[in-house]
Parts: sequence; C-alpha cells; structure tokens
Amino acid sequence: MRYLRALLARIAGVFTKNGADDDLREELAAHLEMEIAENVRRGMHPDAARRKAMLSAGGLTQAAEAVREQRGLPWIESVVADVRYALRSLRHSRSFTAVVVLTLALGIGANTAIFTVVRAVLLKSLPHRDGDRLVYLRHSVDGPGGRNVLFSVPEVHDFREGAKTLAGIAEYSPWQVTLQEKSAAVRISVGLVTGNFFDVMGLSPVLGRLTRPSDDGPGVPAVMVLTHEFWIRHFGGDSSIVGKPLKLDVGSVTVIGVLQPAPTFPDRMDAMSNMVVSPHHLSAQMVQGRSHRMTEMVARLAPQSSVEQARTEVAAVYARMQRDYKEAYDPASHYRVAVVPFKEAIGERARLTLWMLMAAAAFVLIISAANVVNLTLMRGVRREPELVVRAALGAGVARLRRLLLVENLVLTLAGAVLGVLIAIGGVRLLVSFAERYSPRANEIHLDVTTLGFTLALSVAVALLLSFVATLPQEGGFASWMAAGARRVSGTVRRQRLQRGLVVAQIAVSVVLLAGAGLLTRTMIELADVNTGLRTEEVLTLPVQLLQFGDGDFKRIMAADAGAKEGYDRMMGEVRALPGVVAVGLGSTPPLRGSDIGFAVKAEGKTVAVGEPLPRADMRTADPNYFRAAGIPLLKGRAFAATDRFGAGRVVIINQTLADKLFPGEDPIDKRVAWTGDVLRFTPFSPDWRTVVGVVGNTRDGGLDAEPPPAMFMPFAQELALGGVLVIRADSNAAALATAATRIARRIAPTVPIEHVWTVAQIKDQSVAPRRLNAELISLFGSLALIIATVGIAGVLAFSVSARTSEIGIRMSLGADRGRVQRMILGEGGVLLTIGLALGVAGAYFATGVLRGLLFGVAPRDPITFVGVAVLMAAIGIIACWIPALRAARIDPAVAMRAT
Amino acid sequence: MAEKLDVKQGTLALMILKTLDVLGPLHGYGVARRIEETSKNRLTLNYGTLYPALLKLEQEGFIVAEWRQSENNRRAKFYSLTAAGRKQLARETREWNQTADLIAAFLTPRRGGETS
Repeated sequence: MRYLRALLARIAGVFTKNGADDDLREELAAHLEMEIAENVRRGMHPDAARRKAMLSAGGLTQAAEAVREQRGLPWIESVVADVRYALRSLRHSRSFTAVVVLTLALGIGANTAIFTVVRAVLLKSLPHRDGDRLVYLRHSVDGPGGRNVLFSVPEVHDFREGAKTLAGIAEYSPWQVTLQEKSAAVRISVGLVTGNFFDVMGLSPVLGRLTRPSDDGPGVPAVMVLTHEFWIRHFGGDSSIVGKPLKLDVGSVTVIGVLQPAPTFPDRMDAMSNMVVSPHHLSAQMVQGRSHRMTEMVARLAPQSSVEQARTEVAAVYARMQRDYKEAYDPASHYRVAVVPFKEAIGERARLTLWMLMAAAAFVLIISAANVVNLTLMRGVRREPELVVRAALGAGVARLRRLLLVENLVLTLAGAVLGVLIAIGGVRLLVSFAERYSPRANEIHLDVTTLGFTLALSVAVALLLSFVATLPQEGGFASWMAAGARRVSGTVRRQRLQRGLVVAQIAVSVVLLAGAGLLTRTMIELADVNTGLRTEEVLTLPVQLLQFGDGDFKRIMAADAGAKEGYDRMMGEVRALPGVVAVGLGSTPPLRGSDIGFAVKAEGKTVAVGEPLPRADMRTADPNYFRAAGIPLLKGRAFAATDRFGAGRVVIINQTLADKLFPGEDPIDKRVAWTGDVLRFTPFSPDWRTVVGVVGNTRDGGLDAEPPPAMFMPFAQELALGGVLVIRADSNAAALATAATRIARRIAPTVPIEHVWTVAQIKDQSVAPRRLNAELISLFGSLALIIATVGIAGVLAFSVSARTSEIGIRMSLGADRGRVQRMILGEGGVLLTIGLALGVAGAYFATGVLRGLLFGVAPRDPITFVGVAVLMAAIGIIACWIPALRAARIDPAVAMRAT
Repeated sequence: MAEKLDVKQGTLALMILKTLDVLGPLHGYGVARRIEETSKNRLTLNYGTLYPALLKLEQEGFIVAEWRQSENNRRAKFYSLTAAGRKQLARETREWNQTADLIAAFLTPRRGGETS
C-alpha cells in the first residue's frame, strides 16, 4: 500500500514538474531566509550570516536536483529522454529508418505468422483434459491403403482386457449419413462412439450433455452430440437445438448436447452418436467379426504409465491375438500396431511442412537481421564523432550503450508492429493452408503468447544491434578525438564483421532459393504427370441414390432398382444438354481413390508364401464410363448393357492390376475374384469373374502417387455403389455444372449434392498443398534475395564511400577508371564466391529434409543447384556493379581535397 | 567540537517523524534546527538530504505539507503528521529500540569470559 502510494505519487510527479519546481525554489529560499534571520539574531553581520547559511545549505542546486530525483522517476524520465532523442535522430536518417523497419517487419512478420501456425497445430497442448496422456493406436498393413486399417470390436475388447497401461479406450467408428432438412440434404460425418468416449477423451459439453455408458447397446434412444464447429457452421450456434430431433437417412436422432471445441482425428467429424443409430454396428458381424475393422482407437494412459510401457504392453497383447487368431492376420501383410501420442498423431501430416516453413522464415529473419546489423554498423561509423563528443562530455560506456539500445528498440519495435500487421494478413492466408494438413487449423490465431514471441524476437534483435557497435572506450577518448570525424573507414574487426554478414546473407539466400527451386520443380514435374485420362473437359457429379448407411442389405436390395432407374433418367436428361459429348456412370470419379478395396486372387495362381495378396480398389462402371472419362481401353471390350444382374460376372482391370496378376500374359478371359474373410460382411460376392477388358492406369491416389491397382465391375451387375455421373463436354466442362446439378436435384431432391468438380479441378486439388508450399518458399526465397542484394550493394557502396580518398590517391597515381571498377567488383566478387560456395554446401545438407515434399526431382538435383547459383551470382554481380560504377566516377581532385 | 556524523539512511525519516510529533506542524528549517539541536550539533543536515526525505515521507502519505504564515510572518511550507505517519512512527520507534537493544547487547564487552 505504502509503496504503491509512493509510486503513484512519483508517477504523478513526472507530470507536475513545473509547478513543483517553483514550489521547491520558494521553500528552499524561505529556509535560507529563516537561517539568515536566525544568524543575524545571534548577532552576526548580515553578510557573514548569509555566507554561513549558504555554507550549511550545502548547495541549493544540488539540493533541488536531489529533490527532483525523489519527486519523479528519474530512470524512466531519462529513458523517455532517450526515446525522444532516438526518434529525433532517426527522423534525421529517414531512409535508414525506413529500410531497417521494413526489413525487420518482413522478417518478424513472417516468423510471427508461421510461429502462430506452428504453435497452434504442433505445440499447444490439446484442449482435452490431460491431453498429453492420450495415445492414438494405429493398425497398419503393407500395401496400398494399408496405412490405417482400423480395429475390429473383438480387437478393441482384447486390448481393453489385456493392456493395463491403458486406463481407458475410446472407440469411434467414422460414418457418413445424410441429414435431411426442409431446404436441403447434407452429407455429414458422424463418429459412432461408445458411452465412455468423452470421458476417456477428457472432453466436456458446452451445452446439454454428452453420451454416457447408459447410451450403449440396443434398445436405447438414438442421440447425437454436435461438434462445436458443426454447431456454429450449420446451426449458427443456436442453443435451442439441444433436445430437438434431427432426421437422418437412417432414422431420427435427438440432439443431446454440443461438444467443446476440439480437433477430431483422423478425419473431420460433424457429430457423434451412440451405436444404436446403426443396426449394423450392433450386429453379430460387427461385434464378433475379428477382421471386420471399422473402429478407431484413442486410449488414455494409466497413471504412472509411460508411452513406452504402453507400447511394450500393446505389442505383447497384439502378439497374443495374432497367435490365437491366425486367420485374421495374414502374415504376409505384416499386421502391426503403433502407439503414438495423440497430439503427435494429430500433427503428423503438418509437421514436416510447418517446420520447413518455420526454418525458411527463420532464414529470412537471419538475412534481414544481418542486413540491419550491417546498416547499423555503417550508421555507427558515421555517428562516431557524435558518440565521441558525448563520451567526452561524460557519458559512460553504459550510458552510450543504453542510448543505442533505446534507439534500436525503437527501430525493432516499429518493425515488430508493422510485422504483426503483416502477420495478421499472413495468418489468415495460412489458416486455409493449414486446414489441408491439420484438424487444429481453427485454433490458429494471434494471441498473447505469439505476440510475446514477437516481442522477445524484436528485443533480441535490438540487443544484438546494440552490442555489435563498438563504442568509445573510457580512457580511449584521446585517440578517438584525435582521429576525429575523418576516421570513417572503420576498424578491421568491423569490416570483417560486415563482410562476414554479407557472405552469410548470400549463403542463406542460396539455401532458401535451392529449397524454392526444388519445390517449384516439383510443381513443374507434377504438371507434366500423365493422369492417364485423355481429356480434362470432364465434369464429375457425385449423387448417391442408394444409401448403404444402416447396413440392412434387404432394404438396400429393394431400393436398388429404384436408384438405378433414377440414374437412367438423370443421364438421359444430362445427355440432352448442349455441349455434352458423352455421359457415363460409375462408383467413383476418375482421379479419386475408391473408399473400398479388397484382396484379389487369380484363378490357377498361387501367391508365394510371404507375399501379400494383391489388393485392388473396388470400382464400378457403366458401358459409357471409360469413354466419358477418357480412360483408354487397352485390351478387350468395355462393359455392355447386357452385363447386368443374372448375366455372367465380368470385370475390367487396370494395367497395374493386370501386370500384377498376369505378368507377361493376356488377361482377357482369365478369371479373378475378390477374396478375404472381410467379404462376409459386405454385399460383394467372392465368386469368380471373367476379365473382359484392360484399361489404362489413372492417378487415382493423387498425381504424386503411383496409380493404384483397380478392378471395375459393371455398375448394373452390383448394387448401385457410390454413384458419380461422368459428363464429357466438347469444350467447357465447368459450364455444365449448374445445369447438370439442377437436373440431379430435381430427380433426387433428398440427396445431398456436393463436390461437383471437373477433372481439371480434381487434378488441381491434388497438387494444391504442394503448390502453396512452393509459393510460400518461393516468396521467402525472393524476399531473401532482395534483402541480400540490398545488403551486398549497401556494404560495397559504404566501402566505396569510406575509401573515397584512397581511390582518389590511386587514381592520381595512375589507376584508370576500369582498374578502380575492377577493384571494387573484385571485392564484391570474393564475397559473392565465398557466399555461393557456402550456400551450395549448406543446401546440399539442408535440402535432404525436403525429400518427403518433393516429386520427380532429387533433393540434390544438380540442375536446380546450378540454376540457383547462377541466379544468385547474376543478381550479386548487378548489386556489385552499381557501387563499382560509382567508385569509377570518383574525381581524384575532388576526392583528395575532401580529405 | 564533537565529531560530526552523517545521517544514517532510514534514521532520518524517524527523526523527522518524531520531531513533527513532538513539535507539531513545522517547516523544513524548523525540522533541521530541531534535529541538529537534539543531536547537540553532531549531525548536520544540508538541504539535499533533508528535502528529499521530506518529499519521500509526503509521497508515502506519512506527512502532509501546506503553505502557511510562520511565527514571524514569513510564508513557509509547514509539514504535519498524518494518522498513518503517527502509526509509522510508533512502529519504527519500536523496531529501532529492538534493534538498538540487540546491537547494544551484542557489542557490550562481557566480563567473566565464557561463563556468563
């Protein structure tokens, strides 16, 4: 209280200085008068009385000063004075200030923006209660689509019984349903969860309640918990939604609550429901089928258990399962389970890209800081006389250092403010970028921590700047004074430092440019990838008329004919649209992977022991699908209208599958079949099917992945699986989208229609994340190049101006202009060469980490390296040329007289 | 002439408070006089010591200042104790006495060696 009061009084004192000074003067004068009067009263002569009084007062000015120090906050006041001085001195060198602030703003802005994303997506702890104790279990096999094969209910059960290091297991089955509303139907992703799910995950509701164990099992009401994101997006955050029923294609559910904001993994979830919503999930097949894997697992570590212990125990339990149920784990597929901290699993896809961007941003900051250091050094040299005078007038080294520090803080903080503005724009851009990589993208925003990071960064830069400058040492004034204003060449140490910084800038720029070059070449390579399609003027219109949602095959069978009739009508009308060349129908759009795939066997072929069975994507196609999509038929025939229910089962396979199953043979008329235990749970027959055709490969797994093996069944010979209209146009396919969608909506008003894209758009989406990578790194690379160029030119120009008299002497001694120019060029050339060499060496080591982000180009691609080096050299030479020309124009007479 | 002493940090505040407590509202000159007299002129207070100390006490809320006519009709700034100042004086007096006792006990030469 007492200190606070005193502090407030002192702060007030800062502002009431003038009045208080008069007051003090009067008070001291009164004191003096009284003392004189007293002395006189004691019989002294007035003059002597005054002298004695003055003597005992001990200096009125010093006293006034001492009171003043007590009155205000002298330290702050002198800092204020320093700031005022800094602003004044910066105002005098406007271009210096502008360049420094802008350079720092770019560096700080880039780092703030990227750090904000890194923190939200990778570093921040999860919103789940004790989220660090959650682990994700991933079940994988070899081969395409084997990265995450999920778990079956019996497997989850065994882990729950056997693994004591796991205190609780939250299971959820990702599932798609259609939400029917008055205005439209939408497809939503629902996680089917057990009652303990939210408890294990450590999540709370923001409204209503979450599911609990009493919601498990059959015969309970179907309930739904909305995710926060979906609640806001779809229901506008309307809290009256709780307690209301929603109509799904699989029945009605009651909304019981809204979940707190939390990332969902591995895919987006709009809501969670109890298992009763899907009869299939409670069926014997699901509950007892060990190979019927549809469940994701997140577990909470038991207290005192480490991830390492959980790993060991899970491996042991899993090994026992594999021993006890050999039929469910084909040894050739290498079934395995990984235990990954949940936070890490969520950040997995983003990690490499984000750290690469963070490194690139850090490089930009290094380059800009180097530039600013250089500029500061040069300015410091020009300010030497001023500092010498200040030192001579009694400013100590610490005082001068503080002066510089305040000035540099003003500079870096101005840069930081501008940088944060840049970052605000940048973060907005990066959020849409991060959405492709991370379910935590909506957690990205500038907050106190990130701003603290920015502040720390700017203070660090300011400290660096203040301590690289040499100051007049105490006791060394004489030599400084003697050298006086003329001594602007700087010390050898300083020159070395400047040159070192230029070399570092060039080297770091080269590394960044090499990264940018590799990523850009990746884009070029990807653009050249042959998709396998003959044309891109194809519109794909997904419209799923037959819902498989509830797994009730009898109902599905009954609805199938109606769905197929709907497709016929739709295709008939679309075909009549102007500009349409062909219309086909299939389960999946071209260039998109199929969600389902099974192992395949060929008649009369046995797979060697230890070889996994080949797997293929399951797709269906109608007679026009291949023609409409532009997929070339390589052998045999396309499907015919006669390939339907009741006729002989036929398939068309793609080239990859043909090569796998029938290497060096003609696959036509051979017989193949889907195989595997899991087929029991599907409507697909394991019967033999005759191969009638072979089609070309298409890049269904993305442009950067090898085409996956695929097996097509006639659309009419199976249940109406998926459902995508493939519409080929004579010119502009995108223009057909509106009309075709309208037809589909009219015929199927309750079916959600989304993702109506042309093949060109699908292709574009598959490379979009890489393109953003390439663009961002190229942006950083160009920034680095510009800043480094300014750096080289600046340092050389400074060197020229410092050596004006020396050059003047050289010229008067007979050096011609060409020689002077070559001298300066040579000086820059040495720096450039060393920088390039270091940069290329650095890039050689650094680009290795990019391997996972590249396509069609090696991390140490010589063409890219040479290209980058040539670019850097060319720009570097131009940057040297300007100061060299200036040096050559020096008039020796003027130069020497000036010294 | 007695040896001149410098005022120890912290003790001056106590002296000022005590002076104002005994003499009532007083100007800076009066305070200085009183302290010097009480110390039998072993202490001298120059302005640079006295006035910052007065200001500090004022900032802490222990004394208040007010311009008034002095006894011989001169305008002077009079300082007087506040309630908080009185409390502070009591506290500091107690603490000072304790410290003084302690130090005195510590420094007093003990007769009889280790036995006492």
